[in-house]
Amino acid sequence: MTGPPLLDRRLCFVLGKGGVGKSTVAAALGLLGARAGRRTLLVEVAARRRLSRLFAGAAIGADRPTELAPGLFGLSIEAERAMEEYLDMQLKVRPLVDLLVKSRAFHSFAAAAPGLPELVTLGKIWELATHVEDGRPVWDVLVVDLPATGHGIALLEVAGRVHELAASGPIREQSAKIAEVVGHPAATGIAVVARPEELAVTEATEAVAALREKGLPAAVAVMNGVCARRFTPEDVPVLEAALAATPDGAAATAVRAALAHAHRERREQGQSAQLAEGVDLPVVELPELITARMDLDGVGILAGALGASPAVAPAGTRVAG
Amino acid sequence: MNLGPVLAGRRVVVVCGAGGVGKTTVSAALALGLAAEGRRVAVVTIDPARRLATALGMAGLSDEPRRVDPAAARDAGLDMRGELWALQLDPKATFDRLVTRYAPSPEARDRILANRIYRHFSGTVAGAQEYMAVERLHELVDEERFECVVLDTPPAQNALDFLDAPERMGRFIEGKGLRLLLAPQTKAGRLGWKALHAGSSMVLSLLERLTGGQLLRDVSEFLQSFDGMYAGFRDRAAAVRTLLLSEEARFLVVTGPEPEPVAEAVMLWDHLAHDRYPVAAVVVNRVHPLPPEGDPDPAALAAALTAAGAGDGAHLAGAALESLQDARTVGRRDHDDVAEIRRTLDDPPLATVPALPDDPVELAGLARVTRELVTA
Ligand SMILES: Nc1ncnc2c1ncn2[C@@H]1O[C@H](COP(=O)(O)OP(=O)(O)OP(=O)(O)O)[C@@H](O)[C@H]1O
Ligand SMILES: [Mg+2]
Repeated sequence: MTGPPLLDRRLCFVLGKGGVGKSTVAAALGLLGARAGRRTLLVEVAARRRLSRLFAGAAIGADRPTELAPGLFGLSIEAERAMEEYLDMQLKVRPLVDLLVKSRAFHSFAAAAPGLPELVTLGKIWELATHVEDGRPVWDVLVVDLPATGHGIALLEVAGRVHELAASGPIREQSAKIAEVVGHPAATGIAVVARPEELAVTEATEAVAALREKGLPAAVAVMNGVCARRFTPEDVPVLEAALAATPDGAAATAVRAALAHAHRERREQGQSAQLAEGVDLPVVELPELITARMDLDGVGILAGALGASPAVAPAGTRVAG
Repeated sequence: MNLGPVLAGRRVVVVCGAGGVGKTTVSAALALGLAAEGRRVAVVTIDPARRLATALGMAGLSDEPRRVDPAAARDAGLDMRGELWALQLDPKATFDRLVTRYAPSPEARDRILANRIYRHFSGTVAGAQEYMAVERLHELVDEERFECVVLDTPPAQNALDFLDAPERMGRFIEGKGLRLLLAPQTKAGRLGWKALHAGSSMVLSLLERLTGGQLLRDVSEFLQSFDGMYAGFRDRAAAVRTLLLSEEARFLVVTGPEPEPVAEAVMLWDHLAHDRYPVAAVVVNRVHPLPPEGDPDPAALAAALTAAGAGDGAHLAGAALESLQDARTVGRRDHDDVAEIRRTLDDPPLATVPALPDDPVELAGLARVTRELVTA
């Protein structure tokens, strides 16, 4: 493992295939950071309201951080708003900003300059991560819930790309600074989330390879939604024999459920092995929670599971899982 | 529900929905079903799982259609009366082809293809992937090689991005304001811009201050190189829109039984219906079946398991009962979610696909999904 535990890095990104549980894992990481006494900011970039739902509907603000739990704050970043903030910061003169924002030319530039929305979004994240007040950083940890793999990687690598493209000007310098932080394993860590399913594991493996190739610090892989370990391989023939003896009725229903579970366990072990081999990173397994709805209690349980991993928990805070 | 009649005779089936719900699987399974029924079908997918790609005969990356081996389909238990062709969308290749087709001259074409901005971003720019999916669809329908094209829409941040893509792309290519601004050396540019906006030189110098002159020049060159292509793009976009709004097309909205995808599916459905797209049915993928009612007596189950050879029958019975309980919780949750969609959308045509024990990444697995969708 290169680099400190994930939550000892100021910038933690959560990446993965659509629907694998990125937002849930991001929320759990945020909660874990806050529990460890870190001032933690949970950031969502493509306003999907999932985080709000997890935190009992606390509307996550776009203009200022909302407190979601003790020590845990949430912020939603929108590209358009981030763009205006960026211009404000650069030009420092409001009428100039208004002039730009109102001009059609600027909008076609914004639409044509590829990667600009990503750049201002990442720039905003960087700004939050490096923001200092009264001599100390405002946030100890930022946990960023990224959009699904392709779009997520595009966001992570945008600073490096723009730096290559821009020969001069503030944009070049700024993107260089951002790229340096985002590429540095002491400052940034990326958690790649998968589920024990072929597509998700393949996508996670490819994502990690892509991150390595682009010099972006993948820190840990998370296998989310792993079913409970209940059966041994020896149980399977017993269950099959019981089903053959009594193929109908309530007992058979229970035995069928048991067999389905046992098979799933076996399949998932295969997927876990494949993930571990494919990503060559520490892998943290998170249990599938069987509830009608994921809620804050559920996120708390997942935070506990993440906290048991030395690759994730801040140094000195790991609790035996 | 059997989607066969809903899709009969349509030339285009657009499969949309939130990310991660199984659009690719549903698209491929549907195409397989339509082909089995005797039609010549092409399925355009994005990022299939490798084994699915192999099963569909697309092992090598290609955005040219390849025929799925009919013998393989037969082995998977399907009576294949038509033809199934599959291709994987390659946004960059499609974009290049488009440039080649619409560039006013070979020099203009080479200039675009060599432009640094184009090379860096043509795969990702402003909804290019979504747009290219639409574009490829148009090409395939135009060729008239296939009786039906099934389109798996790309994973977008927002499922609606797909519909706006042609328009956004058009705006991007057009980039009028900016081109006038950036071409002050030409007389027309100067005059045009003056007439448009008095603060022009101010805007230009602000942009220059921020980006450095060279990036701005590259972007401007990039945009200028599209000069003369806009009309072609615009006509295509209009043609695709007409096709998608016509009776020849059908939209399917795919979702999983979970709050976010369901919310997105409902939004998508309403939006499609509002804009008069022919939205035909909802597919709820990966629904866990509800086990039959009635729990067994734990002692009796333990005895039965002991009789079947268990070392610790009571323990195994406990584990089996837990698994049954889990299956009930999950089955009830999914059942409620499906009911919720029916209620919210006022009982739409709706097909469900059960959660299969294995990801359907081989033709045989796909054929199981097919049977749920077109023959059930
Ligand atoms: N460990 C878990 N146990 C049970 N359910 C889970 C678990 N992790 C996630 N889920 C559920 O899976 C669904 C998808 O999770 P989530 O929204 O976090 O995924 P995502 O990767 O952020 O999705 P998207 O790509 O749409 O943003 C949610 O309904 C969530 O409650
Ligand atoms: Mg999410």
